[in-house]
Amino acid sequence: MTDIAVQVRDLVKEFPSPGGGTLRAVDGISFEVERGEVFGFLGPNGAGKTTTLEIIEGLQRPTAGSTGVLGMDSIADKDAMEQRIGVQLQAGAYFDFLTLEEILDLFGSFYERRLPPEELLEKVGLLEKRKALVRELSGGQAQRFSIVASMVNDPDVVFLDEPTTGLDPQARRNLWELIRAIHADEAKTVVMTTHYMEEAEVLCDRVAIIDGGRIQALDTPVELVHALPAAYRIAFTAPRPIAESRLMGLPGVGEVHANGDLRYELRVSRADETLPAFIDWARGEGLELLGVRVLPATLEDVFLSVTGHALRE
Amino acid sequence: MRKLIVASLKMLYRDKQALFWALAFPVIFAVVFALFDFEQTPQIDVAVVAEHESAVSEALVSGLREVDGFTVDERASLDAARAGLEDDEYGVVLAVPAGGEGEIRAFYNETNFEENQFALSAVQQIVDSTNLRLAGVSSPALAVEAVPVTAKSVEYYDFLLPGLVAMGVMNFSIIGMAVAISRFREQRILKRILATPLSPVKFLSAQVVARLVLAVVQAAIILAVGVYVFGAKVYGNVLWIFVLATLANLVFLNIGFAVAGRAANPDAAQGIGNAVALPMMFLSGVFFPTDTLPQVMQSVVAWLPLTPLIEALRAVSIDGLSITAAGPQVAMLGGWVAVSFLIAGRMFRFGRA
Repeated sequence: MTDIAVQVRDLVKEFPSPGGGTLRAVDGISFEVERGEVFGFLGPNGAGKTTTLEIIEGLQRPTAGSTGVLGMDSIADKDAMEQRIGVQLQAGAYFDFLTLEEILDLFGSFYERRLPPEELLEKVGLLEKRKALVRELSGGQAQRFSIVASMVNDPDVVFLDEPTTGLDPQARRNLWELIRAIHADEAKTVVMTTHYMEEAEVLCDRVAIIDGGRIQALDTPVELVHALPAAYRIAFTAPRPIAESRLMGLPGVGEVHANGDLRYELRVSRADETLPAFIDWARGEGLELLGVRVLPATLEDVFLSVTGHALRE
Repeated sequence: MRKLIVASLKMLYRDKQALFWALAFPVIFAVVFALFDFEQTPQIDVAVVAEHESAVSEALVSGLREVDGFTVDERASLDAARAGLEDDEYGVVLAVPAGGEGEIRAFYNETNFEENQFALSAVQQIVDSTNLRLAGVSSPALAVEAVPVTAKSVEYYDFLLPGLVAMGVMNFSIIGMAVAISRFREQRILKRILATPLSPVKFLSAQVVARLVLAVVQAAIILAVGVYVFGAKVYGNVLWIFVLATLANLVFLNIGFAVAGRAANPDAAQGIGNAVALPMMFLSGVFFPTDTLPQVMQSVVAWLPLTPLIEALRAVSIDGLSITAAGPQVAMLGGWVAVSFLIAGRMFRFGRA
């Protein structure tokens, strides 16, 4: 059995552009997802996340390149692949006039391997809603249902396209728990897209930062942050103005920002290296520092650093 | 597949709003057309003024009384009777000449053209037969029974009912199918299905089967309401009606698919569906025979799929014929099934329209 859950090679997808010509939604993407991983695509709308996912799922044809799941080609082995994957579509709905139980039962009937609806609903805390229609659910419940509906066949690889978009913070956290459980308890591989930094940081083993149809960076959230020239910020308030050149002289300081009102921020690559030296230096100067804080950089900073623009502008 | 068909039926059955309109629409038309009573004999009040009773005036009065819808008053004064004519108390005033010879003068109100035509022709016939009798021609005393007072055995409702069945099935299938598919696409259910091992053709086939079944139920209910509530008569075998409706329904469902292929969203599907269905509804003889249309229109309308369906349904329902008697119509419907299937195949898109 292969250890590679998802394989994407030199993927290109072009669409005819409304104004004539072609639009490259996906511009040469290659990556692999290992079995048991939670793999995240992080990027703004229109970055090519959904297109990439749908090509892997066999829903769209690539212009060039190849994709496969569990060693099966997305096009040539589509039928076999479909038995093993679970697909949750972005903003996808289910039948208006069937109950949750009936929808799961119906979708289960499409597969060779299937789980009983009660068991699935139990898993997402919707058992008591089994006779309800989807439209009678709250946003969070509906989203939980749409995830569990992608798991009727007990798939090995689950694709979730922006599973938490449009949810309130509490519902989003609940969903994170669910995705974690899918991953941890059932050892399923999860491939998901998101445009929430926090979500990618919390859930994903590895994150691909995608922008303009290309993967700009791909690593674990920790490594992505670490790789930044300034992975940490040391913020403090000084009792009197300090020359920036003196701060720049401290070990590991990449940048100094004076924010006015005597507030300063040092961008450093390693806090454990800079911080003791900084404290010693301040003592030596007789500076009584106020509110010294060490802040880790976030994926937001990574995104800004690798793409040159903020995630949401 | 069985599960899928059952689920599709449930979806249709639970969409109460669509279901309501599928049945209410034809019934509304049935009610509206009940307000226009096409079978009604004109009700006409006739005043006969004879200064002296004579054989002629007696024969005339008794003759007129025999006619359905006539109320006959004998008045002594012509002036009073004519005043009644102006007040709409009478439709026609007949003045019998003294002595019973000469001209009977008929006064009438010119505005009620149709009633007058009817009344005057009735009077003319009575006068003719009275003349014959008085002239000594022995005929069974005053052949008043011969006055034609519209006694068609086929009433308008008998004619309308097959049309309403056809219209109901057509609307429910063209618009219903187009909107349903369009909604499935908008909700990404079609795409979701594509991501499962289920073949999309199977999914759509289940929809078609469910709609074919439901259309038979719909036709049965419309027929039942027509017969038991509105008193229409079905002379032929109801089974043939269902067979014909189902055959034509294949055409309508194909059209529904074609519309769904071009509609950007469910609202557009509804609009385009109506644009296709409405002209057929009014032109293909649901409410009136197509021969009341101009000749040019008739030759066009004859080729619409609803027209042969309605003709065949009427042949079965009114004339009590077997489906074999409607051979040309059935053949044309069969042709439409093939043509509409090709059109649907060309126009339908599983993905975005």
